[in-house]
Amino acid sequence: MSDIAIKASEPIALKARLNEDWLAVVIGLLVYAAALVSISGTDLLGWAVMTSVYTDLAKALAPVAKAYAWLGGGGALLATYAALLVLLSAGVAALGAGVRKFAVAFTVVFAIAYASWIAGSYAYVAAVTPAEQQKFGIGWSLKLTNEGGFIVALLSGLVIANVFPRFAAWLKEAIRPELYIKVAIVILGATVAVTAAGRLNLASSLLLRGAAAIVEAYLIYWAVVYYVARKWFGFSREWSVPLASGISICGVAAAIATGGAIRARPAVPVLVSSLVVVFAVVEVLILPFLAQTFLWQEPLVAGAWIGLAIKTDGAAVAGGGITESLVMAKAAAEGIRYQPGWIIATTTTVKIFIDIFIGVWAFILGYIWTNHIDRGPDRAKPIEIWQRFPKFILGFILVFAVSLWLAVGSTPEIAKALPTAAGEANVFRVIFFILTFFSIGVLSDFRKLWQQGFGKLAAVYFVSLFGFVIWVGLLISWLFFSGFKPPLAS
Amino acid sequence: MSQPDIKNDIGAVSPAEPLLPVEKKLIGWSLGIGITLLIALIAINHFVPIKL
Repeated sequence: MSDIAIKASEPIALKARLNEDWLAVVIGLLVYAAALVSISGTDLLGWAVMTSVYTDLAKALAPVAKAYAWLGGGGALLATYAALLVLLSAGVAALGAGVRKFAVAFTVVFAIAYASWIAGSYAYVAAVTPAEQQKFGIGWSLKLTNEGGFIVALLSGLVIANVFPRFAAWLKEAIRPELYIKVAIVILGATVAVTAAGRLNLASSLLLRGAAAIVEAYLIYWAVVYYVARKWFGFSREWSVPLASGISICGVAAAIATGGAIRARPAVPVLVSSLVVVFAVVEVLILPFLAQTFLWQEPLVAGAWIGLAIKTDGAAVAGGGITESLVMAKAAAEGIRYQPGWIIATTTTVKIFIDIFIGVWAFILGYIWTNHIDRGPDRAKPIEIWQRFPKFILGFILVFAVSLWLAVGSTPEIAKALPTAAGEANVFRVIFFILTFFSIGVLSDFRKLWQQGFGKLAAVYFVSLFGFVIWVGLLISWLFFSGFKPPLAS
Repeated sequence: MSQPDIKNDIGAVSPAEPLLPVEKKLIGWSLGIGITLLIALIAINHFVPIKL
């Protein structure tokens, strides 16, 4: 997934993308550090807005901390918007982009995206259990939980992209799904650590299973998709490598890294990335509901499957979030209440394990191409592994490690205060998720892609995804995760 | 790369680029190593099950 996905004719700014990686780390760490200050008794983020399921709109919004209740829901929303505007504008300025254009576009993006989130929290959309329906005095609901707001945000973006393309183009300065999801993943490290601290054995087991995801994505998916693209569809090597990487590993990062490694023309991996983004959108709209229907009794299988099947970071982790809410809703309706966090943690672990090796795989392909296929004066250099390493993962690991240490290696007082701090950081993780979903939708101009003759590329993706990737992912997820459930909520 | 180039590029079959032996090796070794490692991991998974 990328904010450059539809800019087909622009060169790939690899250097800028790396800067965006680091920017995500900085923003994520700032939010996390501010949240941690609350452990000392000074609440720096308690004003952040959170949305509850509602029938009366006036009661939908509130500050996350009671100490800031005087601010009211509207005040909390404005404060959150202002803080994000300042933080992200500073970040965008550091990237060398136009701050004024970004600020104006971000204001609109935030307004639509958060309005979508509020709409998704309406009781008729979000209420899950009969008890909740009774509480709100309603006879039916879509049972999407309040995270159904992610889908509303995605659909809002899709409508803008496909019905109002000029408006979508006007918003482009603030349409940065790659940045938003990377910040969210860095912050997510705290939630995952707090969740993991509660069940260290299960957490370490998840890490072990991440190795299977790496093997599956790089050695099995990639080889099969490359063969299908080359042999069945007759694509050249230049197209087949980014295509195989995009479909197998990660839509944007892997397609661009491996495309660069084999010296493909810049537009090729960018176009492939666009295709992957579109398919990821379709997958996010379909797979979580399939998981809810068929895998609700195997929550961790569902989480791992989403991580293996959806091929962009943002869509995969966000899809994991939707899957978690849907599966937990279905289980709750059956009287089973799982602890939250385990399904999305499984999805994230699987996806992050896959991402870690993008640089290594790009180096391997670069070595083979420069030494055996396209011999020239340049040879692949080991430093390229580091250059192409997705840096935001370092932010996730740092936040995860610090949080885990605070949870299990520090004083009981700190361990007790940590979940509240992580909860405040999580409010921002959710907001960055909402921005990601909306941005993905805005980037998915189906008509434009069709005009560019994407039918054949889409055919490769369709055949690979529905003929192979989804089913093998399901099999592997089942083999490694079936029979193991998240802990029950107390 | 202009739009017409992209269209022609995607639409074109590349008979001039048959699978080279090194590509076949890459596919074969990837699948071979991948399946072997998966079997090994499935075995490890069997002996070291997820702990709750």
